[in-house]
Amino acid sequence: MRAPTTRQKIIIYALMALVMIFFVGPILWFILLAFRHPSDAYNLPPEIIFQPDLGNFITTFVEPGNNAIQLVNSLIVSTGATLLSLPFALAAAYALSRFAMRGKEFIMNWYISLLIAPPIVFVIPYFILMSWIGWAGSYQAMILTLQTLAIPFSVWLLKSFMDEVPIDLEEAAWVDGANRFAAFFRIIIPLALPGIIVTSMFTFVFSWNNVLFPLVLSKQSTTTLPVGTISFFASTGIYWGYLASTAVVAMLPPMIIFLLLGRYVVRGLTFGAVKG
Amino acid sequence: MRFRKRLPYLLLAPSILILLALILYPLGFALRNSFWFWNLQTSPAPLYHSGLDNYRMVFQVTPFAEALKNTLLLAGLGTFAQFWFGMGIALLLYTHLRGMGLFRALLIMPTTLAPVVAGFLFRYLLEPKGGLLPWLLEGVGFPVPPQGFLGNAGTALFSIGVVDTWQWTPFFAIVLYAGLLSISEEVLEAALVDGASRWRLFWSISLPLLRPIAAFLVMIRFMQLFNSFDLVYVLTSGGPGTSSRTLSFNLYREGLVSYNIGLTAAMTWLVVIIVSVIINLYLFFIYRKREW
Amino acid sequence: MSKNGISRRDFLKVGGAAGAALAGASPLGNLARVAAQTDATVNVLTVGDPWDLALQSVVDQFTEATGIGVNIESLGYTALQARLINAFLTQSADADVIAVDQMWISQYADNGWIRSLDDFIAMDSDAHFDDFLPECLYSLSTWRNHVWTLPIASYAQGIMYRTDLFEAAGLDPLPASVADAGDWTWEDYFGILEQINGMDLDGTSMYGTTVIGAQPVPVVHMFTGLSASYGARWFTQFPEAPWDFTPTINSEPNLAALHDWNRLYGWSPPESINYLWFDAGTRYSQGDIGMFYHWTPYFYLVNNEGYLTGTPSPVVDKTATAVLPTRTAGGDQVVSLGGWSLGMPSTSANQDAAWQFIKWATGAEAQKAMGEVNVKGYQFADFSRQSNYDDAGLNEIYPFLGTQLEMMKLGDGKVARPPAPIYTSLEGVYGLQINQAMSGAVSPEQALETTEILFQNILSGNQMIPYGVASFDDTLDNTKALQASLSGM
Repeated sequence: MRAPTTRQKIIIYALMALVMIFFVGPILWFILLAFRHPSDAYNLPPEIIFQPDLGNFITTFVEPGNNAIQLVNSLIVSTGATLLSLPFALAAAYALSRFAMRGKEFIMNWYISLLIAPPIVFVIPYFILMSWIGWAGSYQAMILTLQTLAIPFSVWLLKSFMDEVPIDLEEAAWVDGANRFAAFFRIIIPLALPGIIVTSMFTFVFSWNNVLFPLVLSKQSTTTLPVGTISFFASTGIYWGYLASTAVVAMLPPMIIFLLLGRYVVRGLTFGAVKG
Repeated sequence: MRFRKRLPYLLLAPSILILLALILYPLGFALRNSFWFWNLQTSPAPLYHSGLDNYRMVFQVTPFAEALKNTLLLAGLGTFAQFWFGMGIALLLYTHLRGMGLFRALLIMPTTLAPVVAGFLFRYLLEPKGGLLPWLLEGVGFPVPPQGFLGNAGTALFSIGVVDTWQWTPFFAIVLYAGLLSISEEVLEAALVDGASRWRLFWSISLPLLRPIAAFLVMIRFMQLFNSFDLVYVLTSGGPGTSSRTLSFNLYREGLVSYNIGLTAAMTWLVVIIVSVIINLYLFFIYRKREW
Repeated sequence: MSKNGISRRDFLKVGGAAGAALAGASPLGNLARVAAQTDATVNVLTVGDPWDLALQSVVDQFTEATGIGVNIESLGYTALQARLINAFLTQSADADVIAVDQMWISQYADNGWIRSLDDFIAMDSDAHFDDFLPECLYSLSTWRNHVWTLPIASYAQGIMYRTDLFEAAGLDPLPASVADAGDWTWEDYFGILEQINGMDLDGTSMYGTTVIGAQPVPVVHMFTGLSASYGARWFTQFPEAPWDFTPTINSEPNLAALHDWNRLYGWSPPESINYLWFDAGTRYSQGDIGMFYHWTPYFYLVNNEGYLTGTPSPVVDKTATAVLPTRTAGGDQVVSLGGWSLGMPSTSANQDAAWQFIKWATGAEAQKAMGEVNVKGYQFADFSRQSNYDDAGLNEIYPFLGTQLEMMKLGDGKVARPPAPIYTSLEGVYGLQINQAMSGAVSPEQALETTEILFQNILSGNQMIPYGVASFDDTLDNTKALQASLSGM
């Protein structure tokens, strides 16, 4: 491919700089808010250099630190939802990737079609359901209901990764005497590992960021960090300092995950849908 | 080999069963209750069979038409903008100039935020008195409505769309970039040798090859945006007036504020039917040629 | 959920009677066990309003005095409502004491979700039930001649204004007492706004006032303050028996109120069309609002720059409070009265300890202690008891208590925002229409016309017109009689 000229390069970098300011700038501005004294939130012209104040973080996470437990809860719920979805999604993805069956396309679309219903309508029935089985306010209640979002996506993503694992390798393993089950663990799992990682990342982040289900299905001791953030949007005011400090902490795990594993994402996100 | 024949279905069964239980239960719950008079404000249990009353009430007492119009606008324009901005950025990334890897890594940040956090972030930025954006825009002479962007009937819905676009354009960009990468170099090289210009190359080779993934992305985002609630709740609560009411916000009002279970159930089914029709029409037109 | 065979009318009657039947269940047996249960813990579910912070700051005193532990869980308004309704629905309420919005009483009582406190009150003279302002009980706690909750935070409405601005404009101070109010009318109020709007005060261009315009709940709270004072009523007959819920929204006084509400908006910052309660309070404490009316907690909240920032606001020594005007000189006055009370879910297995807690938290001593809490400023003056208003120490901290008490005594929470079943549905469409009229999307006439039609649809759709359940003559006098009889007088 032709290399761009210097002029083209300048234009491209200028555009990219605008893109970065637009997409990343607001986040940085919000992070600064967490370090401002609450009464300085709306000072104009804005102070870019100021004495950072850790008071907000101390109140929310240290003393009295009501939000610290929510961070732990978020980790439990998101990890739980991710781990629970994997076996279901792996089995389904394997079946869809490796077997010829009637109505495969229908089944694939069926998974996605489940996302059609607005999640807001689920919360009342789920609460009733969870109360019946005695799970109201529990971690399990949130972990289980999050599967409605986790499994459909995971099936699609995992299938596309498994499609890329050559069938020959698997067949070679069968010849060596391994049964399907063993070959699945010896061949498919290791080779599709990047895909499994990407899928887990997405499930984790979607679960982490979900607010609707924990809002209704949790109790104070099990509720998650984004719900804690909303509680500072209260009838007595928006407590920007506390809100921003919890929101910034809530941002971190998904961001760190994407920064560390971002290179897998680019590989993983074609949903198997491009055939070049 | 009957087992071998059944194996794929056995593997699919667990996920299908758990999803059926989790999704069909609420939908079934709603279907039944949509024909019953059940308002938790007046009684703890369904009172009597009310025929189609709940469906009629949806149109009589909730701003259903406005909400549908707003929802379609938001989902349609939002998806459109996100796709094309995303495509533009994907092409920038595809130049592979030095530093693009870092840009790509940072670019995804908005998508990793919880939608409520994105909402709060922009609520702070857009605050009419003391917010950064109105201050900057006024500084360069851009007209800011006196009630603020979120408080003006003409700009409230648009602002929600901008915030969602801010959050999801990077996702489109990354996926489309991944799609561009997976188009085989030889195809492009061959076209270049044939003397195709870069634009022709994009329009007649890259874009058609991206079509399947683009179609999938657009469908998913449209459905999500159609059902989005968090942003509306945090940014405008549907106001001013009904100018940014969406169907999900209507469902929230009737279900979790007024607790009219029967009415909410009827509205749920109307919404599900509307989205299904749209998605099926979309699938019909996109996959008419059955490319995959 | 499967009672199919009963006609709708029968069933509505059953529904209404269920609450009454439950109310009659005697807790005598429970009271006898109080002593044996001193090691219990009560689970309390509250809402994150200012009073909650004050309560949490003094709750150790309850544990010290009774040996009963307290486990308080505090939620946002929507989350609390969702938790409570879902918990009641599935009979799985794990709380022993809950915070109840005045609008939830009829629903919770009629559905049998909370239990009447009548017998507890009658058996326990420590409750000093006669000390409560009857207007607070009437507005927050009684339904169908039973007491369901006890008020923990009562809010009336009143005026806050800038003394320095009034001085600069050559205006007399506003009346702090009804006795001094003479012929203080809303027209006078508007006249002052006309004069001060746009004035320059020490380099700040002032807005005359600020409204609270966000739909649906905030705008209904504030608009009904004006319209109730104008004499507007929601229904043909309520709360007096027999109840007739045929709407009277599209009435002369209400239309006049909506026109004047739009005038108020004209003297307000344009963005106040989207203001929630606290936005208006914060705006006033930032210093460019001349005068406004609001719920009485803002009498003390405006002393800080923002809630819990701990920074005194720039207006702290330049603000005074005043009584609300009437529509006609010396005419009748109705003030909106709202707030929170504590109730007991009927599923609680811990009712004796729960009662001890409710009695303590709504008692004069704990209320005073809450008023004396000083965490980043004094944060609680929403008393419901006469003795708290008479307390010299509290009057020193909150010099406006006299004005506030007078507004409470003119308060009528059952008229300004009638807590009829399905209130929230009505409020939803009402608030939307007021907001539409403010933005100019519809005229005030159209807004009220539409509201009336929607009210009619909602009320008939929910079997409220005609009303098939027995009415109760829910007057302040009947509450006073109930109060006297339960106080053993």
